Amino acid sequence: MGVLSFLLELLQGGLANLAAYLAAHVLLCLLPAFFIAGAMTALIPKESVTRFLGRNTPKFVSYPAAALAGSVLAVCSCTIVPLFAGIYKKGAGLGPAITFLFFAPAANILALTYTGVAIGPDLAFARLFLSLAFGIGIGLILALIFRREDADHDRLTDETFAGSGHLRLPVLVFLLVLVALLLAGTLKISLLTQTYAQVALPGAGLEQFQASLNRLVPFDPTKGEEGVTVQGVLLIGLLASLGLAAWRGFENIHNGFNRWTWAALCLAGFTLLFAAAGVIPGSEGLQLVFSGKFFGVALALIVLAYLARRFLTPDQLRDWLWESWRFIRQIFPLLVAGVFLVGVVRQLIQPQWIESLAGSNTLLGNLAGVMFGVFMYFPTLVEVPIAKMFLGLGMHRGPLLAYLMADPELSLQSILIIAAIIGRAKAWTYVGWVALFSTLAGLIYGSWVDGTSAWVLLAYLAGFLAVLAASLALINQHNASRTALALKNQGHTP
Amino acid sequence: MLTIKILGSGCPNCKKVEAITRQIISDMGMTAEVIKVTNYPDMMKYPITSTPGLVVNEKLVCAGRVPSPAEVTTWLTTAELEAL
Repeated sequence: MGVLSFLLELLQGGLANLAAYLAAHVLLCLLPAFFIAGAMTALIPKESVTRFLGRNTPKFVSYPAAALAGSVLAVCSCTIVPLFAGIYKKGAGLGPAITFLFFAPAANILALTYTGVAIGPDLAFARLFLSLAFGIGIGLILALIFRREDADHDRLTDETFAGSGHLRLPVLVFLLVLVALLLAGTLKISLLTQTYAQVALPGAGLEQFQASLNRLVPFDPTKGEEGVTVQGVLLIGLLASLGLAAWRGFENIHNGFNRWTWAALCLAGFTLLFAAAGVIPGSEGLQLVFSGKFFGVALALIVLAYLARRFLTPDQLRDWLWESWRFIRQIFPLLVAGVFLVGVVRQLIQPQWIESLAGSNTLLGNLAGVMFGVFMYFPTLVEVPIAKMFLGLGMHRGPLLAYLMADPELSLQSILIIAAIIGRAKAWTYVGWVALFSTLAGLIYGSWVDGTSAWVLLAYLAGFLAVLAASLALINQHNASRTALALKNQGHTP
Repeated sequence: MLTIKILGSGCPNCKKVEAITRQIISDMGMTAEVIKVTNYPDMMKYPITSTPGLVVNEKLVCAGRVPSPAEVTTWLTTAELEAL
């Protein structure tokens, strides 16, 4: 009996976590984010970025371009691995390739949005900023260490990077409005949270429904748990029907649009609108609250529909929907399973363990975060609910960032693929630097959270990078003179 | 006889390209050999920056997206005519 109730408790924990995620977070942030990711893949000509990644591009252009490519072009491994191999072998070389590889998982639209909404905008921003700084740093360091090998790897013509695609203005506007839709649904500024209109709908008994929901999914706000609202239940229903319509409408979209396609599109719009409105169950009936968020989302949807009809070709529209659907189908089921398992595991972990290991911003705590990230492999985006669980269990935000930086960069699978392309020595050097820099990022961010002045930290960071660069340059010079000496000796002895 | 290569590690888009291509080959009654290239060094011999890639008679016709059936039909028939 004890075992049974224990298992039941685990199952309930998992389901509660899943329900809370589906109802609260996933919708407003991830649904538009998936469509943005799809639009970026389908509508941005890759050449508009990759032409800055050719062999003859100066460093100060190629490193930022590599980072840009990481954030706008690389949402899935279909692009990451070939582009990484291409930049390394035929393009700008090892340094920018590494920058690209490091920046892509941390800075793509899905990861950023999800981190921002689930954990907090401060952490999303820290992840973006520190990944950019350290991505370029690691790229430069590896390019320096392996400079000679980098110079003599195969010298093919770089036709791969010679194309000249341009992003058309209407397409750019379309992308920006999609981003505006995302922001309208998630930003918490007074213009968007203020209430402008209210409508009361008849419908008794919903209060009891909410009460029974709270009994079914008990939650403890002090542990960072969230309950399920009536609106949440309706949203889960809408999501499920949207999933069905999308399956019928988008799966074979290459054969043309059908009725399910339009149904799915309308349902997606309606779901977003409904999620943006506030629903308060009362004893008299249902109170619908329209805040600025609702009108923002509505406006963005109308503009999007107009732009899509007016400026996108049927092929572009089709590619956009297909890529968005592909991301949803590929990532969403894994995410759902991951969130469920996180809810189960959470019941098993004692907060004291986390508290004692990584409860404060220590070197050991940050190292523990990084090690956990390296040895655990989670599918794309699942690192976010896991991080949220750790936060709820008392982990300090510093080690949490260290974990978030290390986990997507370093999994056994990605290390193996990288090793196959650039060789084992380079791959393990990369792993070492990522581990070091992730720990450092956690420490820096952690002490910022603890109240250290940002300028002092920046000074420390600059100092550290200067020492690093100086020692690398010294090593490099030393190596160069030794090679020169060796060459000279070779020249003298016949 | 056409030689068609599908470049891709097995992601959903690569499977889609393969399905569309095979469908058109059988619809048009063509004789063609479809080869799947799944390892990265072999793929990188072609100028691609993202998978899937479609190669017809050693010429890369499309990369980084799923082409429409109409496009694939055009490429295959053009290649057939060129081979004559």
